[in-house]
Amino acid sequence: MMESSAPVAAPFAAETVGLTKRYPLTWKRKVLVALDRLDLQVRPGEVFGLLGPNGSGKSTTIKLLLGLITPSEGEARIFGLPPESLEARRRVGFLPENPYFYGFLNGDETLRFYGKICGVTGAKLEKKIEDLIELVGLQNGRERPLRSYSKGMLQRIGLAQALIHDPDLLFLDEPTAGVDPLGSSQIRDLILQLKKMGKTVIFSSHLLEQVQEVADRVAIFSLGKKVLEGSLESLLTQNEGTQINLSADVSPEQQARLVDALKQAGIEGGAEAIRFTRPHLSLEQLYLRTVQTQADPRAKNPPVQ
Amino acid sequence: MISSLLRIIAIGRITLTEAVRQKVLNVLLIFSIVLVGSSVAVSQLATPGLDSAGLFDAQIKFVKDFGCGAIGLFGFFIALLSTAQLIPQELHNRTIYTILAKPVRRSEFLLGKFLGIVLLLALSVALMSLAFAATLYWQEIEGIHATTAAYDGTPNWRANPTAVNSYNHDVQLVITQVRDPQIIEAVLLIFAKLVMTISIALLISTFATSSIFTIITTFFIYLIGHMESTAREFWLAHGADASIWQTSLVGLISLLVPDMNSFTIVDEILAGNKVPWHHALSLLGYADVYIIVLLAVSIIIFDYREI
Repeated sequence: MMESSAPVAAPFAAETVGLTKRYPLTWKRKVLVALDRLDLQVRPGEVFGLLGPNGSGKSTTIKLLLGLITPSEGEARIFGLPPESLEARRRVGFLPENPYFYGFLNGDETLRFYGKICGVTGAKLEKKIEDLIELVGLQNGRERPLRSYSKGMLQRIGLAQALIHDPDLLFLDEPTAGVDPLGSSQIRDLILQLKKMGKTVIFSSHLLEQVQEVADRVAIFSLGKKVLEGSLESLLTQNEGTQINLSADVSPEQQARLVDALKQAGIEGGAEAIRFTRPHLSLEQLYLRTVQTQADPRAKNPPVQ
Repeated sequence: MISSLLRIIAIGRITLTEAVRQKVLNVLLIFSIVLVGSSVAVSQLATPGLDSAGLFDAQIKFVKDFGCGAIGLFGFFIALLSTAQLIPQELHNRTIYTILAKPVRRSEFLLGKFLGIVLLLALSVALMSLAFAATLYWQEIEGIHATTAAYDGTPNWRANPTAVNSYNHDVQLVITQVRDPQIIEAVLLIFAKLVMTISIALLISTFATSSIFTIITTFFIYLIGHMESTAREFWLAHGADASIWQTSLVGLISLLVPDMNSFTIVDEILAGNKVPWHHALSLLGYADVYIIVLLAVSIIIFDYREI
C-alpha cells in the first residue's frame, strides 16, 4: 500500500463508478455477486443512509469504500483519492457492525491507542479524548474495562474512536444494531450533531424510521444492487392528496362545517375524499417519550398515557 | 518513517498487553517457572549428590538440561499459541477493521503484531531464565556444601595441602560449571529458534482461516525443520542413486523450511563442549535472514488478503 500524492479537490466525499464485488464459490462452480455495478455519489456534509436487508451489499459497499477489500470491477474514490491510500484514510473514520474492541482496555486507554496509531499524541490527544468522551457521553466508562460495557456503550466508544483523528467522512455500519431504543436514539442524536459539525456520514441500517429521522438521502439495496436512490423528501412525498395537520381537537359538528368549507373551496370527491383521524405516535416515539421522562425526574412533560 | 515506527510500537504494545492479560499464558508461564525451579528436586532424585568421581557434575548438568529444555518447550507453546490466535482474534473482535481503516499500512499492523509477540516471548524467556539462574545458584551452594561435606569425612584434611588443593579444584569446578557463560549462548539460541517459530506461525496465520490450522501446520513445519537435515545428509550420501524427484523434493524442503536441527548445538553446549561464539552468531544470523524472509512473505500475502 503506497502513500499517494497530495489530495486533489474533489466534489464528492465518496464516489463509486460501476463498483462490483464478486466472490467465486469454487466448490459450487458459481460466482456470488455481492455488489453489482454500483454508481454512487455522496456530497460533503451529507448524511447518507444505505438501506436494505441483510446480504444486500451495504457492508460490502462500506468495506470497498474503506479499501478493506478490493473491487472485482469499477472504482471507488474518497475525496477523489483511492480508498486504500493513507491520505484517504486520514480523512475517514469507521465504526464496524457489532464491534467488541479490546475488552481489557478502559475507555480512555482505547481512545489513546487509536489516537496513537493515527499519529495524534501528547496534550492534543488528551484534549481530544476529553472532548470525545463528553461528546458521546461516556464519562462513566472512562475507567471501566470495555468488557463490562453494554452494547450501547460499545457503540458510543466505537463512534469516539472513529472520530479520534477528526475525519471528514464517517462510515457507520449498523450503528444501532442490538442497541436498546434509548441508546439507539442517543446514537441518532450524535449523527445529527456530527452533521452540524460539518461531517459527512454514510451509515447502513435496517431501522427505517431511524434512517428517516437523520438521513438527507438514501439508497436502497436489494440482492447486491442499488434499486432506489434519492432525497427522503422526494422519495417519501406522495403526489396524490394533501394532508392538513391541526393541533386542536375537532368535534363532529366542526368536522361537518370544515367539509362544507372545503366544498365551498371547490374540493369535492364524495364522503371518502375527506377523512378525519387523530394523529398517531409511532411505538418508538411512545417508548422514547416514556423512558426519557422516567429517566429524568426534572422532565416537564408527563409520560404519555 | 518515525510515524510508521510509532504505529508499529503502538500495535506491538497493545498486542503484548493483551497477551499478558490472558490467563492461559500466565498459568503457562508460572507453571514453567515452577518447573525450572523444581528441577533441583528432580535432579536429586535422578542423580543424588556427588558422582562416583566425587564431583557434583551430573546434578548440575541435569539442572542445565532440564532448565533449557523447559525454556524451549514452554517458550514454544507460548510462541505458537499466542501467534496462532493473533489474526483470528482481531477478526472476531472486529478490531482489525477499525485499525486498518485508520492511516495504518497492513505491513505496519503485521509488524506490530510480530513485535508484540516477540516482546512477550522475550519477557517469558527472561522470567524463565531468571528462575533458571536462581536454580543454578542454588545448585552452586548445594554443590559446594556437598563437596565440603565429602571432604569433612576425612579428619584434619585442611592440614593436608594436597587435600586442600584438591578441594579448591573441586569447588572451582562447581563454580565454573554453574557460572558457564555458554549458558547465555544456549538461551540466546533457544530464543532465536522460538522467534523463527513465531515467524512461521505468523506467515501461516496470514492465510489460515482458523488458529487450529495455524497450530497444526506450524507444528508439522517445526518437525520437518528438525528432520530435513537428516534427509539432506542422506541425499548427499546417496546423491547418485536418488531420482530427480527425490533430489528436487529435498532441495525444495531445504529452501522453504528453516533447518531447526542446526539449533541442536544447544545440546553440545549443555554437554559441556565448547561452542565458539562465532558459530552461535552465524546461527543467529541464519535465523535473522529466515525471519526477515518469512516476514516479507507474510506482508505480501496479508496485503492481498480480503478481510
